[in-house]
Amino acid sequence: MPDELAIDSGALIFATLADVYLSSGMIDEAISILKDGLSRNPQYTLAKVILGRAYYAKGEIEEAIEVLEDAYKTAKDSESTNFYLGQCYEKLGEHDKAIEFYEATLKLNPNNEGAKKELETLRPTPTQVEQEEVEPGLEVTVPEEEEIEPAPEPATPIVEEGNIEVQAEPVKEGEEERVEAIALPAEPMEEKVEEISEPVAAEVKRPPEPEEVPEQPAVAEMPFVPLESLSPPMNRLLDLDAIKGAFISSKDGLLIQSYYKDEVDLEEMCAMIAAIHNEAEQSFKFLKEGDVEKFLIEKENETICVMAVGESLLTIVTKPEAKPGLIFVYARNIIDEIKEILG
Amino acid sequence: MKLDALTKIPKVLGAGIATADGFVIESQFTVGYNAEKSAAMAAKVVNTTKQSLNIKKVSVIFYTQNSVFFIRETEAGIFFVICQKDANIGLVKIKINKIT
Repeated sequence: MPDELAIDSGALIFATLADVYLSSGMIDEAISILKDGLSRNPQYTLAKVILGRAYYAKGEIEEAIEVLEDAYKTAKDSESTNFYLGQCYEKLGEHDKAIEFYEATLKLNPNNEGAKKELETLRPTPTQVEQEEVEPGLEVTVPEEEEIEPAPEPATPIVEEGNIEVQAEPVKEGEEERVEAIALPAEPMEEKVEEISEPVAAEVKRPPEPEEVPEQPAVAEMPFVPLESLSPPMNRLLDLDAIKGAFISSKDGLLIQSYYKDEVDLEEMCAMIAAIHNEAEQSFKFLKEGDVEKFLIEKENETICVMAVGESLLTIVTKPEAKPGLIFVYARNIIDEIKEILG
Repeated sequence: MKLDALTKIPKVLGAGIATADGFVIESQFTVGYNAEKSAAMAAKVVNTTKQSLNIKKVSVIFYTQNSVFFIRETEAGIFFVICQKDANIGLVKIKINKIT
Protein backbone atom coordinates (compact mmCIF):
# COMPACT_ATOMS: atom_id res chain seq x y z
CA MET A 1 0.00 0.00 0.00
CA PRO A 2 2.68 2.63 0.82
CA ASP A 3 4.24 2.16 -2.63
CA GLU A 4 0.87 2.57 -4.22
CA LEU A 5 0.43 5.87 -2.44
CA ALA A 6 4.01 7.04 -2.89
CA ILE A 7 3.56 7.08 -6.66
CA ASP A 8 1.26 10.05 -6.28
CA SER A 9 3.45 12.06 -3.95
CA GLY A 10 2.40 15.31 -5.61
CA ALA A 11 -1.14 14.85 -4.40
CA LEU A 12 -2.28 15.77 -0.92
CA ILE A 13 -2.51 12.10 0.00
CA PHE A 14 1.14 12.14 1.09
CA ALA A 15 -0.05 13.42 4.47
CA THR A 16 -2.11 10.27 4.96
CA LEU A 17 0.83 8.07 4.05
CA ALA A 18 3.04 10.00 6.46
CA ASP A 19 0.40 9.63 9.14
CA VAL A 20 0.42 5.87 8.60
CA TYR A 21 4.24 5.83 8.86
CA LEU A 22 4.09 7.95 11.98
CA SER A 23 1.52 5.67 13.58
CA SER A 24 3.79 2.72 12.79
CA GLY A 25 6.77 4.40 14.48
CA MET A 26 8.57 5.13 11.18
CA ILE A 27 9.25 8.72 12.12
CA ASP A 28 12.14 9.45 9.75
CA GLU A 29 10.19 8.12 6.78
CA ALA A 30 7.20 10.25 7.78
CA ILE A 31 9.36 13.39 8.06
CA SER A 32 10.98 12.71 4.71
CA ILE A 33 7.62 12.28 2.93
CA LEU A 34 6.14 15.33 4.60
CA LYS A 35 9.11 17.54 3.73
CA ASP A 36 8.93 16.36 0.16
CA GLY A 37 5.18 16.84 -0.02
CA LEU A 38 5.31 20.25 1.61
CA SER A 39 7.88 21.42 -0.90
CA ARG A 40 5.17 20.79 -3.52
CA ASN A 41 2.24 21.97 -1.41
CA PRO A 42 3.68 24.56 1.00
CA GLN A 43 0.21 25.73 2.08
CA TYR A 44 -1.04 22.32 3.18
CA THR A 45 -1.71 22.95 6.85
CA LEU A 46 -2.59 19.40 7.79
CA ALA A 47 0.78 18.16 6.53
CA LYS A 48 2.50 20.79 8.66
CA VAL A 49 0.62 19.61 11.73
CA ILE A 50 1.63 16.00 11.05
CA LEU A 51 5.24 17.12 10.48
CA GLY A 52 5.11 18.95 13.80
CA ARG A 53 3.87 15.75 15.44
CA ALA A 54 6.66 13.78 13.79
CA TYR A 55 9.33 16.19 15.04
CA TYR A 56 7.76 16.08 18.48
CA ALA A 57 7.82 12.28 18.43
CA LYS A 58 11.48 12.41 17.41
CA GLY A 59 12.25 14.75 20.29
CA GLU A 60 13.12 17.71 18.04
CA ILE A 61 10.88 20.12 19.86
CA GLU A 62 12.30 23.36 18.42
CA GLU A 63 11.64 22.16 14.87
CA ALA A 64 8.19 20.95 15.89
CA ILE A 65 7.32 24.39 17.29
CA GLU A 66 8.61 26.12 14.18
CA VAL A 67 6.41 24.02 11.90
CA LEU A 68 3.36 24.12 14.16
CA GLU A 69 3.60 27.89 14.66
CA ASP A 70 3.69 28.18 10.89
CA ALA A 71 0.56 26.03 10.64
CA TYR A 72 -1.03 28.04 13.45
CA LYS A 73 -0.81 31.23 11.37
CA THR A 74 -3.38 29.84 8.92
CA ALA A 75 -5.24 27.48 11.24
CA LYS A 76 -5.78 29.22 14.55
CA ASP A 77 -9.03 27.31 14.99
CA SER A 78 -7.40 23.93 14.53
CA GLU A 79 -7.82 21.83 17.62
CA SER A 80 -4.87 19.57 16.88
CA THR A 81 -2.50 22.48 16.10
CA ASN A 82 -3.33 24.10 19.43
CA PHE A 83 -3.01 20.81 21.29
CA TYR A 84 0.36 19.84 19.80
CA LEU A 85 1.73 23.34 20.34
CA GLY A 86 0.68 22.99 23.96
CA GLN A 87 2.55 19.70 24.17
CA CYS A 88 5.71 21.18 22.64
CA TYR A 89 5.76 24.16 24.98
CA GLU A 90 5.06 21.90 27.92
CA LYS A 91 8.05 19.80 26.92
CA LEU A 92 10.18 22.92 26.75
CA GLY A 93 9.02 23.88 30.24
CA GLU A 94 7.13 26.95 29.01
CA HIS A 95 4.07 26.11 31.02
CA ASP A 96 2.26 29.42 30.61
CA LYS A 97 2.29 29.09 26.84
CA ALA A 98 1.35 25.43 27.08
CA ILE A 99 -1.64 26.30 29.27
CA GLU A 100 -2.72 28.97 26.76
CA PHE A 101 -2.73 26.45 23.94
CA TYR A 102 -4.47 23.76 25.96
CA GLU A 103 -7.13 26.26 26.92
CA ALA A 104 -7.56 27.20 23.27
CA THR A 105 -7.90 23.49 22.45
CA LEU A 106 -10.63 23.10 25.03
CA LYS A 107 -12.43 26.15 23.68
CA LEU A 108 -12.51 24.47 20.29
CA ASN A 109 -13.47 21.10 21.72
CA PRO A 110 -14.52 21.05 25.38
CA ASN A 111 -14.33 17.24 25.31
CA ASN A 112 -10.65 17.00 24.43
CA GLU A 113 -9.51 14.63 27.15
CA GLY A 114 -5.81 15.10 26.39
CA ALA A 115 -5.94 18.85 26.89
CA LYS A 116 -8.03 18.44 30.04
CA LYS A 117 -5.49 16.06 31.55
CA GLU A 118 -2.53 18.24 30.63
CA LEU A 119 -4.22 21.27 32.13
CA GLU A 120 -4.91 19.36 35.30
CA THR A 121 -1.25 18.46 35.65
CA LEU A 122 0.03 21.91 34.73
CA ARG A 123 -2.34 23.88 36.91
CA PRO A 124 -1.88 23.43 40.65
CA THR A 125 -5.16 22.83 42.42
CA PRO A 126 -6.45 25.71 44.60
CA THR A 127 -5.90 23.60 47.73
CA GLN A 128 -2.24 23.08 46.86
CA VAL A 129 -1.73 26.78 46.25
CA GLU A 130 -3.47 27.55 49.48
CA GLN A 131 -1.22 25.19 51.40
CA GLU A 132 1.93 26.40 49.72
CA GLU A 133 1.41 30.10 49.62
CA VAL A 134 -1.07 31.27 52.19
CA GLU A 135 0.65 31.78 55.46
CA PRO A 136 -1.19 32.28 58.71
CA GLY A 137 -1.51 35.90 59.77
CA LEU A 138 -1.07 37.25 56.26
CA GLU A 139 -3.00 40.47 55.82
CA VAL A 140 -3.71 42.12 52.50
CA THR A 141 -4.81 45.73 52.54
CA VAL A 142 -7.20 47.04 49.95
CA PRO A 143 -7.24 50.84 49.91
CA GLU A 144 -10.81 51.47 48.76
CA GLU A 145 -13.68 50.09 50.72
CA GLU A 146 -16.27 51.00 48.06
CA GLU A 147 -15.12 48.25 45.75
CA ILE A 148 -15.80 45.58 48.26
CA GLU A 149 -19.04 46.84 49.74
CA PRO A 150 -21.44 45.23 47.24
CA ALA A 151 -20.01 41.85 48.00
CA PRO A 152 -22.51 39.10 48.82
CA GLU A 153 -22.94 37.58 52.21
CA PRO A 154 -20.27 34.85 52.19
CA ALA A 155 -17.57 37.42 51.53
CA THR A 156 -18.45 39.66 54.45
CA PRO A 157 -16.52 37.81 57.16
CA ILE A 158 -13.35 38.58 55.22
CA VAL A 159 -14.08 42.29 54.74
CA GLU A 160 -13.38 44.19 57.88
CA GLU A 161 -13.12 47.99 58.13
CA GLY A 162 -11.69 48.50 54.69
CA ASN A 163 -9.27 45.63 54.95
CA ILE A 164 -9.36 42.18 53.46
CA GLU A 165 -7.92 39.66 55.76
CA VAL A 166 -6.75 36.46 54.19
CA GLN A 167 -6.71 33.74 56.75
CA ALA A 168 -5.36 30.36 55.93
CA GLU A 169 -7.52 28.31 58.22
CA PRO A 170 -11.13 29.38 57.82
CA VAL A 171 -11.23 29.53 54.03
CA LYS A 172 -14.50 28.21 52.64
CA GLU A 173 -14.80 26.05 49.57
CA GLY A 174 -16.36 28.60 47.25
CA GLU A 175 -13.70 31.17 48.18
CA GLU A 176 -10.60 29.19 47.34
CA GLU A 177 -10.00 30.82 43.98
CA ARG A 178 -10.18 34.29 45.45
CA VAL A 179 -7.72 33.39 48.16
CA GLU A 180 -5.37 32.17 45.48
CA ALA A 181 -5.61 35.51 43.70
CA ILE A 182 -4.86 37.51 46.81
CA ALA A 183 -2.32 35.24 48.34
CA LEU A 184 0.05 35.04 45.37
CA PRO A 185 1.73 38.44 45.94
CA ALA A 186 3.17 37.65 49.32
CA GLU A 187 6.12 40.03 49.71
CA PRO A 188 5.59 43.43 48.03
CA MET A 189 2.09 43.39 49.35
CA GLU A 190 0.66 46.88 49.10
CA GLU A 191 1.72 47.54 45.50
CA LYS A 192 0.48 44.24 44.16
CA VAL A 193 -2.76 44.37 46.02
CA GLU A 194 -3.58 47.57 44.20
CA GLU A 195 -3.11 45.75 40.92
CA ILE A 196 -5.35 42.91 41.86
CA SER A 197 -7.98 44.88 43.71
CA GLU A 198 -10.32 44.91 40.72
CA PRO A 199 -10.31 41.17 40.12
CA VAL A 200 -10.88 40.75 43.83
CA ALA A 201 -13.97 42.89 43.68
CA ALA A 202 -15.13 41.02 40.60
CA GLU A 203 -14.62 37.71 42.28
CA VAL A 204 -16.40 38.82 45.42
CA LYS A 205 -19.45 39.77 43.39
CA ARG A 206 -19.91 36.19 42.19
CA PRO A 207 -23.11 34.46 43.27
CA PRO A 208 -22.37 32.60 46.45
CA GLU A 209 -24.41 29.47 45.82
CA PRO A 210 -22.35 26.77 44.12
CA GLU A 211 -25.36 25.31 42.28
CA GLU A 212 -25.92 28.43 40.20
CA VAL A 213 -22.33 28.88 39.07
CA PRO A 214 -21.96 25.80 36.84
CA GLU A 215 -25.47 26.11 35.41
CA GLN A 216 -25.17 29.60 33.96
CA PRO A 217 -22.22 29.05 31.61
CA ALA A 218 -23.74 25.78 30.44
CA VAL A 219 -26.77 27.65 29.16
CA ALA A 220 -24.82 30.58 27.79
CA GLU A 221 -22.13 28.56 26.01
CA MET A 222 -23.48 25.70 23.98
CA PRO A 223 -20.92 22.89 23.43
CA PHE A 224 -19.09 23.80 20.28
CA VAL A 225 -18.69 20.99 17.76
CA PRO A 226 -16.68 22.28 14.79
CA LEU A 227 -18.12 20.11 12.02
CA GLU A 228 -15.90 21.88 9.48
CA SER A 229 -12.92 20.30 11.17
CA LEU A 230 -14.29 16.91 10.10
CA SER A 231 -13.61 17.85 6.50
CA PRO A 232 -9.79 17.39 6.38
CA PRO A 233 -9.84 13.76 7.58
CA MET A 234 -12.92 12.92 5.55
CA ASN A 235 -11.50 14.52 2.41
CA ARG A 236 -8.36 12.42 2.79
CA LEU A 237 -10.61 9.38 2.78
CA LEU A 238 -12.63 10.59 -0.19
CA ASP A 239 -9.42 11.09 -2.17
CA LEU A 240 -9.55 7.36 -2.84
CA ASP A 241 -11.12 6.72 -6.22
CA ALA A 242 -12.93 3.62 -5.08
CA ILE A 243 -15.00 5.55 -2.56
CA LYS A 244 -18.40 6.74 -3.73
CA GLY A 245 -19.17 8.70 -0.62
CA ALA A 246 -19.22 8.71 3.14
CA PHE A 247 -21.29 10.08 5.94
CA ILE A 248 -21.31 10.22 9.72
CA SER A 249 -24.50 9.52 11.60
CA SER A 250 -25.49 8.95 15.18
CA LYS A 251 -26.29 5.47 16.42
CA ASP A 252 -29.94 6.47 16.58
CA GLY A 253 -30.01 7.08 12.86
CA LEU A 254 -29.62 10.83 12.55
CA LEU A 255 -27.26 12.36 10.03
CA ILE A 256 -24.33 14.30 11.48
CA GLN A 257 -22.35 15.19 8.37
CA SER A 258 -22.45 14.00 4.80
CA TYR A 259 -19.67 13.73 2.25
CA TYR A 260 -21.74 11.95 -0.34
CA LYS A 261 -21.14 12.73 -3.98
CA ASP A 262 -24.32 11.20 -5.43
CA GLU A 263 -27.84 12.28 -4.74
CA VAL A 264 -29.10 9.74 -2.27
CA ASP A 265 -31.75 9.91 0.40
CA LEU A 266 -29.19 10.02 3.17
CA GLU A 267 -31.67 10.39 5.99
CA GLU A 268 -33.24 7.10 5.04
CA MET A 269 -29.82 5.50 4.60
CA CYS A 270 -28.69 6.71 8.05
CA ALA A 271 -31.80 5.27 9.63
CA MET A 272 -31.33 1.93 7.87
CA ILE A 273 -27.66 1.64 8.77
CA ALA A 274 -28.45 2.46 12.38
CA ALA A 275 -31.25 -0.13 12.37
CA ILE A 276 -28.90 -2.86 11.11
CA HIS A 277 -26.18 -1.83 13.55
CA ASN A 278 -28.49 -1.77 16.56
CA GLU A 279 -30.12 -5.06 15.64
CA ALA A 280 -26.74 -6.73 15.20
CA GLU A 281 -25.38 -5.23 18.39
CA GLN A 282 -28.34 -6.60 20.35
CA SER A 283 -27.89 -10.02 18.82
CA PHE A 284 -24.15 -10.19 19.42
CA LYS A 285 -24.56 -9.03 22.98
CA PHE A 286 -27.00 -11.89 23.43
CA LEU A 287 -24.33 -14.22 22.05
CA LYS A 288 -21.80 -12.57 24.42
CA GLU A 289 -19.59 -11.53 21.53
CA GLY A 290 -19.29 -7.90 22.60
CA ASP A 291 -20.04 -4.70 20.71
CA VAL A 292 -20.06 -4.47 16.94
CA GLU A 293 -16.89 -2.63 15.88
CA LYS A 294 -17.54 -2.59 12.16
CA PHE A 295 -19.46 -4.37 9.47
CA LEU A 296 -19.43 -4.72 5.76
CA ILE A 297 -22.49 -5.17 3.58
CA GLU A 298 -21.83 -6.37 0.06
CA LYS A 299 -24.38 -5.27 -2.50
CA GLU A 300 -24.36 -5.87 -6.24
CA ASN A 301 -23.39 -2.34 -7.17
CA GLU A 302 -21.59 -1.18 -4.03
CA THR A 303 -20.11 -2.19 -0.72
CA ILE A 304 -21.08 -0.44 2.49
CA CYS A 305 -18.49 -0.31 5.27
CA VAL A 306 -19.78 0.89 8.62
CA MET A 307 -17.47 1.59 11.55
CA ALA A 308 -18.45 2.56 15.08
CA VAL A 309 -16.76 5.79 16.14
CA GLY A 310 -17.69 6.34 19.76
CA GLU A 311 -21.39 7.16 19.73
CA SER A 312 -21.42 7.74 15.98
CA LEU A 313 -21.23 5.58 12.88
CA LEU A 314 -18.90 6.28 10.00
CA THR A 315 -20.39 4.82 6.82
CA ILE A 316 -18.26 4.53 3.70
CA VAL A 317 -19.90 3.50 0.45
CA THR A 318 -17.46 2.09 -2.07
CA LYS A 319 -17.52 0.73 -5.56
CA PRO A 320 -17.78 -3.08 -5.68
CA GLU A 321 -14.19 -3.42 -6.88
CA ALA A 322 -12.79 -1.49 -3.87
CA LYS A 323 -10.37 -3.32 -1.62
CA PRO A 324 -12.02 -3.52 1.80
CA GLY A 325 -8.66 -3.94 3.54
CA LEU A 326 -7.43 -0.65 2.13
CA ILE A 327 -10.65 1.13 3.06
CA PHE A 328 -10.37 -0.11 6.64
CA VAL A 329 -6.73 1.01 6.88
CA TYR A 330 -7.68 4.50 5.74
CA ALA A 331 -10.76 4.62 7.91
CA ARG A 332 -8.81 3.49 10.97
CA ASN A 333 -6.45 6.41 10.50
CA ILE A 334 -9.15 9.02 10.49
CA ILE A 335 -11.33 7.48 13.17
CA ASP A 336 -9.25 8.91 16.03
CA GLU A 337 -9.51 12.35 14.54
CA ILE A 338 -13.27 12.03 14.16
CA LYS A 339 -13.54 10.77 17.74
CA GLU A 340 -11.53 13.75 18.92
CA ILE A 341 -13.82 16.16 17.10
CA LEU A 342 -17.13 14.56 17.99
CA GLY A 343 -16.14 13.49 21.46
CA MET B 1 -20.09 -31.86 4.05
CA LYS B 2 -19.85 -28.42 2.52
CA LEU B 3 -19.16 -27.00 5.95
CA ASP B 4 -16.01 -29.13 6.36
CA ALA B 5 -14.14 -26.85 3.99
CA LEU B 6 -14.86 -23.94 6.28
CA THR B 7 -14.36 -25.48 9.69
CA LYS B 8 -10.98 -26.88 8.61
CA ILE B 9 -9.61 -23.35 8.28
CA PRO B 10 -7.56 -22.45 11.36
CA LYS B 11 -9.32 -20.27 13.93
CA VAL B 12 -12.76 -20.89 12.43
CA LEU B 13 -14.98 -21.64 15.39
CA GLY B 14 -17.95 -22.96 13.52
CA ALA B 15 -20.21 -22.75 10.53
CA GLY B 16 -23.81 -23.54 9.76
CA ILE B 17 -26.77 -23.20 7.43
CA ALA B 18 -30.10 -21.89 8.67
CA THR B 19 -33.54 -21.36 7.23
CA ALA B 20 -34.91 -17.86 6.71
CA ASP B 21 -36.85 -18.20 9.96
CA GLY B 22 -33.74 -19.11 11.95
CA PHE B 23 -33.84 -22.91 12.27
CA VAL B 24 -30.61 -24.85 11.90
CA ILE B 25 -30.35 -26.99 8.78
CA GLU B 26 -26.79 -28.12 9.32
CA SER B 27 -23.99 -27.00 11.61
CA GLN B 28 -20.46 -27.77 12.77
CA PHE B 29 -19.36 -25.89 15.85
CA THR B 30 -16.59 -26.19 18.38
CA VAL B 31 -17.59 -26.74 21.99
CA GLY B 32 -18.99 -23.66 23.71
CA TYR B 33 -20.76 -22.23 20.70
CA ASN B 34 -24.47 -22.53 20.33
CA ALA B 35 -25.45 -23.20 16.72
CA GLU B 36 -29.14 -22.55 17.35
CA LYS B 37 -28.58 -19.12 18.82
CA SER B 38 -26.17 -18.24 16.04
CA ALA B 39 -28.64 -19.40 13.39
CA ALA B 40 -31.43 -17.35 14.88
CA MET B 41 -29.18 -14.32 15.06
CA ALA B 42 -28.05 -14.78 11.45
CA ALA B 43 -31.64 -14.99 10.23
CA LYS B 44 -32.59 -11.91 12.20
CA VAL B 45 -29.74 -9.86 10.77
CA VAL B 46 -30.44 -11.06 7.23
CA ASN B 47 -34.10 -10.10 7.47
CA THR B 48 -33.35 -6.65 8.89
CA THR B 49 -30.67 -5.93 6.29
CA LYS B 50 -32.88 -7.17 3.48
CA GLN B 51 -35.77 -4.99 4.53
CA SER B 52 -33.64 -1.95 5.27
CA LEU B 53 -31.48 -1.83 2.19
CA ASN B 54 -33.71 -3.70 -0.24
CA ILE B 55 -31.03 -6.26 -1.11
CA LYS B 56 -31.91 -9.48 -2.92
CA LYS B 57 -29.16 -11.64 -1.45
CA VAL B 58 -27.61 -10.39 1.75
CA SER B 59 -23.88 -10.79 2.37
CA VAL B 60 -22.56 -9.23 5.56
CA ILE B 61 -19.40 -9.46 7.64
CA PHE B 62 -19.60 -8.30 11.26
CA TYR B 63 -16.49 -7.57 13.32
CA THR B 64 -17.31 -7.68 17.01
CA GLN B 65 -15.03 -7.26 20.02
CA ASN B 66 -14.42 -10.99 20.24
CA SER B 67 -14.93 -12.50 16.81
CA VAL B 68 -15.88 -12.12 13.17
CA PHE B 69 -19.20 -13.29 11.72
CA PHE B 70 -19.90 -14.00 8.08
CA ILE B 71 -23.50 -14.19 7.06
CA ARG B 72 -24.54 -14.93 3.50
CA GLU B 73 -27.92 -15.65 2.04
CA THR B 74 -27.96 -18.36 -0.62
CA GLU B 75 -30.47 -20.54 -2.41
CA ALA B 76 -29.75 -23.32 0.08
CA GLY B 77 -30.33 -21.11 3.11
CA ILE B 78 -28.43 -18.65 5.26
CA PHE B 79 -24.74 -19.50 5.63
CA PHE B 80 -23.11 -18.31 8.82
CA VAL B 81 -19.51 -18.70 9.89
CA ILE B 82 -17.92 -17.62 13.15
CA CYS B 83 -14.17 -17.21 13.47
CA GLN B 84 -11.63 -15.67 15.77
CA LYS B 85 -10.58 -12.10 15.14
CA ASP B 86 -7.12 -13.12 13.99
CA ALA B 87 -8.36 -15.73 11.52
CA ASN B 88 -7.57 -15.31 7.84
CA ILE B 89 -10.75 -13.49 6.91
CA GLY B 90 -9.81 -13.34 3.23
CA LEU B 91 -9.44 -17.11 3.06
CA VAL B 92 -12.76 -17.67 4.82
CA LYS B 93 -14.39 -15.33 2.34
CA ILE B 94 -12.95 -17.21 -0.63
CA LYS B 95 -14.14 -20.55 0.79
CA ILE B 96 -17.62 -19.17 1.37
CA ASN B 97 -17.70 -17.89 -2.20
CA LYS B 98 -16.74 -21.34 -3.45
CA ILE B 99 -19.31 -23.17 -1.35
CA THR B 100 -22.18 -20.84 -2.09
